Amino acid sequence: MSVILKTEKLRVEFKSRELGQMTKVALNGLDLEVSTGEVFGFLGPNGAGKTTTMNVLLGFVQPTSGAASLFGIDVRQPIARQRIGYLPELTYYYKFLTAEELLRFYAQIFGLPRTEADKRIEETLKLVELDSARKRLIKTYSKGMQQRVGLAQALINNPDLLILDEPTSGLDPLGRMKVRSIIERLKNEGKTVFFSSHELGEVETVCDRVAIISNGDLKAIGRVPEIMQNYPTLEKAFLNIIGYKE
Amino acid sequence: MRNIFAIARIVVLEMYRRKEFYVLFILTVIICLIMGTLNFFNDKQVVRYLKELCMLMIWVSSLIIAITMTARQIPAEREQRTLLPLLAKPLSRAQLIFGKFLGCWIVCGLTLICFYAFFGVLSASREHTWPLLNYFQAALLHWIALGVVVAISLLGSLVFAAPSSNSTICFAVVVTIMCLGRYLDQFAVNLHEPMRSIVYAIYFAIPHLEWSFGMRNLIIHDWPLIDWAFIALAALYFLAYMSVFLVAACLVFRRKSVN
Amino acid sequence: MNSAIKLWCWLIALFLFCFNLCTHLQSQFQAIEYARHQSDNFFNLLLGDSSRIFANSSYVEADVYYHSGYYPTIFDNNQAFETPHMAEDTGAVASRNSGEETGFMGPPRDWLDAFGRHFIPNRHTHLDEGGPSDDLSGNSKVAEILPWLKLSSKLDPENIQTYLVMSYWLRNNLNQPQQAEQVLHEGLRYNPGNPQLLYELGRIYFENYTNTDRARTIWEAGLRSWAQEQPGVSQSERLKPDNQNFDDRFIFEQLQTHLAQLEGSLGNLQAAIDHLKQAKLASPSPAEIQKQIDELQQGINILKNSKRASPE
Repeated sequence: MSVILKTEKLRVEFKSRELGQMTKVALNGLDLEVSTGEVFGFLGPNGAGKTTTMNVLLGFVQPTSGAASLFGIDVRQPIARQRIGYLPELTYYYKFLTAEELLRFYAQIFGLPRTEADKRIEETLKLVELDSARKRLIKTYSKGMQQRVGLAQALINNPDLLILDEPTSGLDPLGRMKVRSIIERLKNEGKTVFFSSHELGEVETVCDRVAIISNGDLKAIGRVPEIMQNYPTLEKAFLNIIGYKE
Repeated sequence: MRNIFAIARIVVLEMYRRKEFYVLFILTVIICLIMGTLNFFNDKQVVRYLKELCMLMIWVSSLIIAITMTARQIPAEREQRTLLPLLAKPLSRAQLIFGKFLGCWIVCGLTLICFYAFFGVLSASREHTWPLLNYFQAALLHWIALGVVVAISLLGSLVFAAPSSNSTICFAVVVTIMCLGRYLDQFAVNLHEPMRSIVYAIYFAIPHLEWSFGMRNLIIHDWPLIDWAFIALAALYFLAYMSVFLVAACLVFRRKSVN
Repeated sequence: MNSAIKLWCWLIALFLFCFNLCTHLQSQFQAIEYARHQSDNFFNLLLGDSSRIFANSSYVEADVYYHSGYYPTIFDNNQAFETPHMAEDTGAVASRNSGEETGFMGPPRDWLDAFGRHFIPNRHTHLDEGGPSDDLSGNSKVAEILPWLKLSSKLDPENIQTYLVMSYWLRNNLNQPQQAEQVLHEGLRYNPGNPQLLYELGRIYFENYTNTDRARTIWEAGLRSWAQEQPGVSQSERLKPDNQNFDDRFIFEQLQTHLAQLEGSLGNLQAAIDHLKQAKLASPSPAEIQKQIDELQQGINILKNSKRASPE
């Protein structure tokens, strides 16, 4: 299995807003590898550096030092993102567009030919159950519908790597189940999924490997059974690894 | 180029679905039609005051549209978090900047077509002539000058925190250039060093948008056509400034954190 | 329901109170002479005395239009544009212009200035002389200055120059004496008995309508107004050559010479001579006036001689 997501001694520092502190270290030399076909869970408490890692992988933030690559291409090159799909935690899209127009726009950015774009739009709208609302403006959608639009735009280019930032956040149990089934379906198709989540129950069920990060440091990485060794649940393992004492 | 055109298309679509252009256009039409009902000694051919008013409304409206629309582009995307899914695509930041610029510039062009068409109909209703080439020259240079304004506003949107402050500063700068740009060197003569050198430097550095703004007097008072060579040179001059501001915007945006 | 009725009652009471207050104040307002005079002028009500600033701007804007946009700004050399050309051409005002009017911009200061001049009006033209396109067939385009003059007259109704310029162009260039007459009547409404306005009005009646009786009446009224303008100052004092008030002497001379012309056209040569003698007191060229007097006197003598000869 080839490595499609890799970070090497990734370090990110931000200017600190706290008195007496010049910089805040968000990531401290993170080494990470994700192989093809894996469902990889990226766990950590709030402020651990999960979103920062994703921001670096997606080119939103420049690392202070170290390197990150997708499919062997440096993340700073736009072409590195040709085969990925990204679903942000907070899903907001152009309110003045319809779902169909939004997907067509993103398909154009990916360079999909017109016929293929039409086919992909049809498939993704059916997958996320927005077929009947495709001609409505996004500003008329409910929150759940907007999140489904988010998922649709992440899948429009049939990506080989899907990066999901807390995909089940704010969803009802039915919505969470649908997201889980989509992740499992993608795994069966041989796609790679890299996602962060606070829902450890779901992570335990779906993920092949997980990494646990806390205060910018990688605390543990490995297969779920390995992490859970000596612990009854992933939650207990997680709490112990990040150093939480009751 | 595909990405640039795709983003430009979205900008045009957004402006088409927003109401600002329609409000300004209808306001211009209403004001001009009301002023057109005034009777000056039963002479139906008196039209220049109307042309002047219409031209002024066109310039004010086009500047409002150009500056406010552009000032809002990147900050609104950042605020509404639509920027992240967009930049997560295989799209460089320079392409985003050029796409936004092109979209805003196209919107300005479409706006000007509507406004100048109305202006042509208004003046032809009294003058019974239609100097299309003169209108075309003025509209072309107007559009290109607006491109410079759009580029300035786009750069400002990356430098200043809020769209409102960016819009205010851009308006102040652009209006000052249009009214006083021609005379800065005369100011400089009356100053002592080092202010004199600074003002001279500003005079040579600023884009002289008043060339386009001054053309409205040629339209109002029925001056003959300007030599096309001068129009071409002025267009090249403005295009050069557009490029400078756009490159500066790309450089500023290149390393900016967007989350 | 009770509270709704109460609210309605209060509303009606308030309305009645306001209405009564308005009617009470209206009569008081109209009792003030100044307010009544100004109340029919919207701009004076809105702007007060500051309307004069806007009136002056409008007046200058008319001159800008007369030059098809070729006009100095405050940053350029204004020496040749201190008296608006559109007024100077009427002969109603003395010119204070000096300097080069065709080249107020001067030579280009640098390449930017030289290039920029291609995009602004850059030639000295007058609307009644063809304008920028040198199209003499369209010299009625001078009507384009009228909206600004009209606005100027509304903003400052007491500036008689505006009415004089408007009436000149309407009468002489646009061939609309009735409109010119209306303009002068409006000017007289705000400036009753102004001799310059009466002079121009008389000219319309004499030159356009050939109504000599009316013209004579108006010009004589103009002379009476002129005499009453400065009650403490004698006529000889006002007509002294070293009197700096050129307009004062000018209008007296014009009224007298035109009355002389009118009387001469009717064959009343003695009356014409009397008017010319008065005009001579104010004229900067008394020799010319004397020549005309001599010619008329010769005419009278010839008539007398022919009358003596005919009965025989």
